[in-house]
Order: sequence, then C-alpha cells, then structure tokens
Amino acid sequence: MTAAEEHSQETKSSFTPFLIAAGLALFMLGLLVFFPLAIFGLIIFALTLLKVYKDNVEEKFSENKESLEQKWPLEAMSKEKAGTWIFLMSEILVFGSLIVAYVFVRISSGPWPVATEVHNVTIGMANTIILLTSSLFMVVALHSIRTGNTTGLKIGLGSAFALGFVFLEIKLGFEWPELARNGFTISNGLPGSTYYILTGLHAAHVAAGLAAIGYLMIRAFKGGFSSTSHSSVENIGLYWHFVDIVWMFLFPLFYLI
Amino acid sequence: MPGLKLYVGIWLGLVTATILEVVTRSLSGTISVIVLAIMVIACAKAITIAMYYQHLRYEGIKVAAMPIAAVVGVILLAVSAAMVGMNMM
Repeated sequence: MTAAEEHSQETKSSFTPFLIAAGLALFMLGLLVFFPLAIFGLIIFALTLLKVYKDNVEEKFSENKESLEQKWPLEAMSKEKAGTWIFLMSEILVFGSLIVAYVFVRISSGPWPVATEVHNVTIGMANTIILLTSSLFMVVALHSIRTGNTTGLKIGLGSAFALGFVFLEIKLGFEWPELARNGFTISNGLPGSTYYILTGLHAAHVAAGLAAIGYLMIRAFKGGFSSTSHSSVENIGLYWHFVDIVWMFLFPLFYLI
Repeated sequence: MPGLKLYVGIWLGLVTATILEVVTRSLSGTISVIVLAIMVIACAKAITIAMYYQHLRYEGIKVAAMPIAAVVGVILLAVSAAMVGMNMM
C-alpha cells in the first residue's frame, strides 16, 4: 500500500458535527413549538455523543495529528467558491425569514389591499423579464470566458450591468415615486412597510451586484480574465443569479397574490 | 458545462413561466388554488435558475447541500410560524 493510499484510508468525512447541530436545532425548535420534538432532538444529540464516545476519539487524537486530519468536505472547490456559497446560505436565511414573516403577517392580519389594485402588474412582469435577461447575459459572460472569448465576456457583463441598472431605475425612479403619489408609503401600515422593506432590501442587493459587475467589467477591459483564470466572474455570477431567484418570489407575492 | 442554446432555452422557459403566472392570476377559480399554482410556478422558476444558471445540476452533492440546508432551515421556520399561527386562531 502506498503512502497516499494509506493516508486516504485514514482520513474520512464525518456526519457527527451535522448530527450534533441537527439534534440541538430540533431541541431548540421543539422548546418553542412542539415539546415532543425537543425530546426527539435531545435523543439525536445524546446518541451522537454516545457514538463519539464509542469511536474513542480521545485515543484517535492522541495519534499522529497528520494521519488523523479529517477530510475537508469541500476540498474539490476553491475557497472563494465555498465562501460564496456559505455567504449565499446566509442570504437565503435572511430573505427566507423575511418572506416567511411577510406571509405570516399577511395571513394573520385583517383586510389587505388587492395586489393588482396597488401595484402595476405589467411593470412588475417587465422588471421580472429584465432581471431574467440580465441573468442570462451573466451566464453567457461566464460561458464566453470559459471558452476564451473575451469579447463575449465584455458584451455579457455590459448587458447584465445595463439590464440590472434598468431594473433598479424602474423600481426606484418610477415605481416607488408613483406608489408614493398614490398614498402607498412605508408609513402606510403593514402592506406598505412590508413591501418597501422587502423590495428595498432586494434593491440594495441589486445595487451591490451592479457594483460587483462594474468591478468585473473594469477587470475584463484591462484583460484581467482568461479561460483558466475567471473565478470572480463565476462567484459574482452566483450572487447575481441569487438576486434573480429572490425576485422570482417577491414578484408573485406582491404583484399577483 | 452546458452550451449557449441550453441557456437561451432556459431563459425562454422562465419568461414563459412568468407570463403563465400573470395569466393564472386572471383565471377564475378558488383563490387558494390560484395562489398555490402561482407559488408552484415561482418555486419551479427558482429551482431552474439554481440548477442551470448557478450550475447546481453539474456540481457535486456537497455544494448543493449548502443551499438545500438553508432552504430546509427556512421551511422549518415556515412550519413553526404556521404552528404558532394555528395556536393563535
């Protein structure tokens, strides 16, 4: 057996941290909403600790540190990409929590203004298609640079930026002032405050995305990307598509339902 | 790595789904069924973008597990909110 094979046998992935975290999460959730769930979580937590004890980790850790090093589960991925996905996880939780809160408030509140009477569906649909097209150009930019086509990269990034800017201009420069003129403001009760908080936070994310794409454009025009070096195009693209995904939920929630 | 034709095809599908959402809103029928249909289309669009534009379909399970874990967290939050809501009624 070669040294590499020996090392590969000694290193392994472990589900133990995940099980401990899941057990504790279920325990805390159960305390809040359903007590038997807390007991179930506690059982998972206790059984996992028992498994750790049985595995005799103490003895393992007393051996040569190098041979005991656990395999990093994301080692096939660059640190930047892993970081981007972990950042997106936190973003999913932020927007997910706000959307759940909005649905909760809306269901548990009294009468709510009819969406189609307050918001312009045509503008909402146009903005959705604009953002989808911007996402398409972002992925075209990535595809281009992967094949070494720097002109395609510049066109893709430029188009994605322009469409993102148009989305923001329609939202902040036209739609919000129009709503305010019609008396639908952030201080107009729950319908107004939930709408402006969620779409405002989304607009802030679009603005941040535009700044990031602007940076990519500057680098692209300076010849900073090649078919082998373009990780920031991919990572900022992941973020831009996430912003698109969030809008896929905000559009029906505010404009259609 | 998929080709440009697939990306454009996905975009066409997403635009069609958006128009379908608006059309569904104008249909006559039980409001809960219409809301459910619109949200199913929205979820399908979000999953399509994640699978094909964010390339989760071509990444390993270890990458896909990260957004899935966050979505599971949001679903747990939604379930707990629904249970609190039912207790309030």
